[in-house]
Amino acid sequence: MMSIRPDEIQGLKQAEGFLSLRGLTRRYGNFNAVDDLNLDVAKGELVAFLGPSGCGKTTSLRMIAGLAPSTSGHIVVDGHDITGVPPYRRDMGLVFQSYALFPHMDVARNIAFGLEMRKVGKAEAQERVREAIALVRLSGKEQHRPAQLSGGQQQRVALARALVVRPSILLLDEPLSNLDAKLREEMRNEIRDIQKRLGITAIFVTHDQMEALTICDKVAVMNHGRLEQLGTPLDIYEHPSTAFVAGFVGRINRLAGTASGGLAEVAGVQVAAPGFDGRVEVMVRPHRVSLSAYAPPAGDDRYALAGTVARATFAGDILEYEVEAGGVLMKSEAATRGGEGVLAPGTPVILSWHRRDTFVYAAS
Amino acid sequence: MNTLALPAREARGMSPAAVAMWLLLPIALVNAVGFLWPVVNLLRMSLNESEATGALIDTVSLATWRNVLTDSFTLELIGNSIGVSLFITLLTLVASYPIAIYLHRSSGLWRTVLLVLVIAPLLTSAVVRTYGWIAILSNQGLVANLLAAFGLAPPRLMFNLTGVVIGLTEILMPYMILALLSGFGRLDPRYEEAALTLGATPLKTFWRVVLPLTAPGMALGCLLCFVLAISSFVTPKLLGGGRVFLLATEIYDQAIVTLNWPVAATLSMIVLVLFGAALALYTRALRRIA
Ligand SMILES: Nc1ncnc2c1ncn2[C@@H]1O[C@H](COP(=O)(O)OP(=O)(O)OP(=O)(O)O)[C@@H](O)[C@H]1O
Ligand SMILES: [Mg+2]
Repeated sequence: MMSIRPDEIQGLKQAEGFLSLRGLTRRYGNFNAVDDLNLDVAKGELVAFLGPSGCGKTTSLRMIAGLAPSTSGHIVVDGHDITGVPPYRRDMGLVFQSYALFPHMDVARNIAFGLEMRKVGKAEAQERVREAIALVRLSGKEQHRPAQLSGGQQQRVALARALVVRPSILLLDEPLSNLDAKLREEMRNEIRDIQKRLGITAIFVTHDQMEALTICDKVAVMNHGRLEQLGTPLDIYEHPSTAFVAGFVGRINRLAGTASGGLAEVAGVQVAAPGFDGRVEVMVRPHRVSLSAYAPPAGDDRYALAGTVARATFAGDILEYEVEAGGVLMKSEAATRGGEGVLAPGTPVILSWHRRDTFVYAAS
Repeated sequence: MNTLALPAREARGMSPAAVAMWLLLPIALVNAVGFLWPVVNLLRMSLNESEATGALIDTVSLATWRNVLTDSFTLELIGNSIGVSLFITLLTLVASYPIAIYLHRSSGLWRTVLLVLVIAPLLTSAVVRTYGWIAILSNQGLVANLLAAFGLAPPRLMFNLTGVVIGLTEILMPYMILALLSGFGRLDPRYEEAALTLGATPLKTFWRVVLPLTAPGMALGCLLCFVLAISSFVTPKLLGGGRVFLLATEIYDQAIVTLNWPVAATLSMIVLVLFGAALALYTRALRRIA
């Protein structure tokens, strides 16, 4: 393993994390599957990769694991450039999106494989395999072949196989995608638990935003092979740095408008838009839009808009209204309370939302 | 409920098993006429005896069998044939395996080109290919001349076992490669990747993942090549130059030269028994693999 000081990586930002990606790029023909990815993950941190299908999450993980070559860029672990190091010397665990369980081995031997390769003693290996199997709730299935397991069970074997070796870096490619809601929550808490207890640095690819926001220290939002934003779940949700992030994480109202002189005009409302000029997109999350019969008092730092109810959707825990106001449809949602009726379409209402809940982006 | 069923139609139709039986009938007939009948004839012939003068004695006895199975020459012949065929099979496997793996992993036009190259030798007869090897291996052949040019004394590569092994290995390679390829279905690069990320070196990955997953293909290829090797005649005859004694060549000699048909028939039956043994071994291996 070549040892280099991070500042020796020419022309690149100094590596700060335990795992650092520097300009990581993967090109297929003239299509950039991963495009100049820069990322620092601190030791013991759990980072979620969130992004639409095909945005390059799996490709990134494969490069980090050493399974696929990068077109350019560096992978730095603990100050060592490991870009050319073969996968079996990286001490990383990878849970494959497609499981990749060894079809000729039963559950126990699949899970024991990594321990065997690391020459862990037989007694200890057996104990750790047993623990791992219990952890993923598969006790009693030790002797089953992968082909005799359901999709979700196979996925849990894949998870146990990667966890049991306690790698210094764990890469999880949608490790819970095939599980039911309850098991999924249990498993994600188990993963978080182990990862914290053993101080494993982990990247967690998921399509479940709830998963990303609830158990991860940081969320990296990717789009078209590029990193759109890296931040804490709170950051990502409350301060999305791009229109894509705002639109991708959580539900949102998108309104088109025009800005000039620090103000943007959308649906007949003047919204503060300092530094913007020309066409803009103004966004606000539906549950931050409240709906009432009266306009909010002046000076309340709220934008208000009069409209009429176009549609009401009752979803049990929340009630969503689509309101026609100023020529656009806007959504407003709120938690339901007992003893409350549903407003009929056509009912005149006032929509209002706080200035700080308003995101403004230049229209693309 | 009665109205929903398809009573008349169903009753007149045949069950899938019956359909299968009918479809299998033609090949069963061909096999009976073309294979079973001759085998029965051979068996019958092996129960005859022949006089020292070579005249055929029409009888039913196990005398020929007894003679063949107690004669040290034929016993050695059988042992030799099995040994040489096993060795050739192993050599063919080792030579074909990397090619099959490479073929399995290549794709597109390149794969098609390679496949055609692998199959092409099967389109020429083994006789022609054996003569090709004679041109290469003979005392005035390519290898000898090449070695002589470097001032080296050429080893004898023909009219001995070496020649037979070289020739048969090359001739059997296409069969082995095709059998291996057909058995590589379970081999997926993702399993190798999983092993690598779990800390297995490429060598360990090969032993623990690639080899077990390709075992069915290897078993099939070995069965096929063993059977073809032990029954091959032209190549041992031409490249062995009458100095290599194998079952097939001996059967030829007994049937055509010595005209001792009962012995030829008995040896043929022994080859058939060896086929059965190989097949049994293959089924057992397959069951262990699965
Ligand atoms: N071998 C390849 N050749 C060409 N393009 C590829 C290849 N592998 C991946 N790609 C492309 O790279 C892009 C990123 O693929 P990747 O598998 O990383 O997506 P992903 O973010 O993991 O998506 P998903 O959420 O659906 O798993 C895709 O557009 C895909 O078509
Ligand atoms: Mg993926």
